[in-house]
Amino acid sequence: MAEAIISLDRVSRVYEMGHMAVPALDDVSLEVHAGEFVAILGPSGSGKTTMMNILGCLDRPTAGAYRLAGTAVAELDDDGLARLRSRTIGFVFQSYNLLPRTTALDNVATPLLYQGVSRSERAVRAKAALERLGLGDRIHHEPTELSGGQQQRVAVARALVTDPALILADEPTGNLDTHTGAEVMALLHELNAAGRTIVLITHDADVAAAATRQVHLRDGRVVA
Amino acid sequence: MSLFELLRLALSRLRTSRLRAALTMLGVIIGVASVVALVSVGQGTTSSITNRLAGLGTNLLTISPIGGGGASSKLTLDDAGAIARLASIGGVAPEISKSLTVSAGNTNTTTTVVGTTPAYPTVRAYEVWQGTFLTDASVERDLRVAVLGATAATNLGLTASDLGTQISVGGLPFRVIGILQAKGGSGFQNPDDQVIVPIGAIQKYFVAGDTVRTIGVSVSDPAQMTAASSAITSLLRDRHDLAPTDTADFNVFNQTQLLAAASSITATLTLLLGGIASISLIVGGIGIMNIMLVSVRERTREIGIRKAVGARGSDILAQFLVEALTLSLLGGLIGIVVGLAVSALIGQLAGWGFTFNPATVAIAVLFSLAVGVVFGVWPARQAARLDPISALRYE
Repeated sequence: MAEAIISLDRVSRVYEMGHMAVPALDDVSLEVHAGEFVAILGPSGSGKTTMMNILGCLDRPTAGAYRLAGTAVAELDDDGLARLRSRTIGFVFQSYNLLPRTTALDNVATPLLYQGVSRSERAVRAKAALERLGLGDRIHHEPTELSGGQQQRVAVARALVTDPALILADEPTGNLDTHTGAEVMALLHELNAAGRTIVLITHDADVAAAATRQVHLRDGRVVA
Repeated sequence: MSLFELLRLALSRLRTSRLRAALTMLGVIIGVASVVALVSVGQGTTSSITNRLAGLGTNLLTISPIGGGGASSKLTLDDAGAIARLASIGGVAPEISKSLTVSAGNTNTTTTVVGTTPAYPTVRAYEVWQGTFLTDASVERDLRVAVLGATAATNLGLTASDLGTQISVGGLPFRVIGILQAKGGSGFQNPDDQVIVPIGAIQKYFVAGDTVRTIGVSVSDPAQMTAASSAITSLLRDRHDLAPTDTADFNVFNQTQLLAAASSITATLTLLLGGIASISLIVGGIGIMNIMLVSVRERTREIGIRKAVGARGSDILAQFLVEALTLSLLGGLIGIVVGLAVSALIGQLAGWGFTFNPATVAIAVLFSLAVGVVFGVWPARQAARLDPISALRYE
């Protein structure tokens, strides 16, 4: 079997709060393979956010080893993490996190800017990604001119434009109504069906039910 | 990221907040404009003063009696003759003058009538415009001939075609033989408002005695100015029977020294003006830093997003630094244009004209670049160091 895209080996993340050490993640091991659609499920305070930060290479574990697409994250400096994020991960956030006063096209093209892709190629690829998500007629709209569902689709386009090994979605339906949320989930499903690896982080069991595998977190530990 | 990409990013950012960008730049605009304008005013003053002093004759030594002219004067025509025999003296022009009414036909004017010798134009740096100056022959024979200064000629209504006409000087008829080129420059004494006659003539008809108001001496070699000056001093002390302890009853005035002193004063003045103006440039720079810090705070979330999608700290640093530099450079360029316009206007009003000084402009550009870097680096570093996790959660 090929190496897993995500491989967490006895990972802990401990926060120092004054003299207290608070473990947000405690001895977690997890493997996610190419083509999987994994939901990480847990109530608030279960360590979901910490998990998301670690998986997304925004934070480093205090103990244990994390390998993302074959790269040992612990050995990387901040620039190395940035490069790994840029090449390997596409983020979809709860609050969309689009750049304000920036068109959908430029928003989607931003990850390519930091990969050093030329301006003309950025435009072509960003436009293609937006068209794939049915936003071909919205490419010059700014986030404030788009509905929540449209904004989240722009964010998904931005996550896809670099053709990353992993899509990391943090409560992607949290700010959307049920109907629009279902559309976004259907979209993630479609992407997974096309072979994309997706890790979904949520507190909502209904949303998690859409995934092919569920990982339950409680008090910083994997319980199921 | 290439500089071009950074510039595009910065410009599109500035476009979205035009008023803020304009107000931020205003500080730099005012700073750079005042540096450019004040330095140019300083240089204009310098060249204007230098030109005016040079217009008085560069190799000029002026000997004047202490205690003013008139009765107390101890300088005589014989003194002038003795000076003329010294080495390295180019020309000696003793002057006796009196304010008289001069008339041509029905036109009257009151002007200074100067009695002098043919060396006068060389010593005082005049050019003859029409006709001739006093000749040796006319001075020897005390002929009643007159050379008009440009202003005096205009006041009398005389032009080139009027050479040879009779004018009345102090009631006596004189023949006009020449008109001088205008020197320009106005001060407490207009150098073009005078009528020049042979020194013998003024002694004979208007001023008794052979005491002179001043003796102008031109030195043939500018390097010999000091030597000539001390030679004249000792000659005159000797002729006036002064003991070594006596104070001199005359003064030898060296034009070159005045020129040097004036130049050094105006150079200091220029430096002072530039220094004061650059304080406002620093204030403008602090304005940029202030706005950039606010901007980093406001755009914390944007920075978090950019980092999440792959921006390195150095990318963020470059983005904010280029933004600050764009503000300061754009402000600097506008400031240069404004400064040049203001200095052209002042030059026009003050009458020394406008000289474009590329060095001032280059320094202003460098200065505004430096302002951008110095006051932009700190906010940019703050932006680059933001932790992406907390930046993404920042509301």
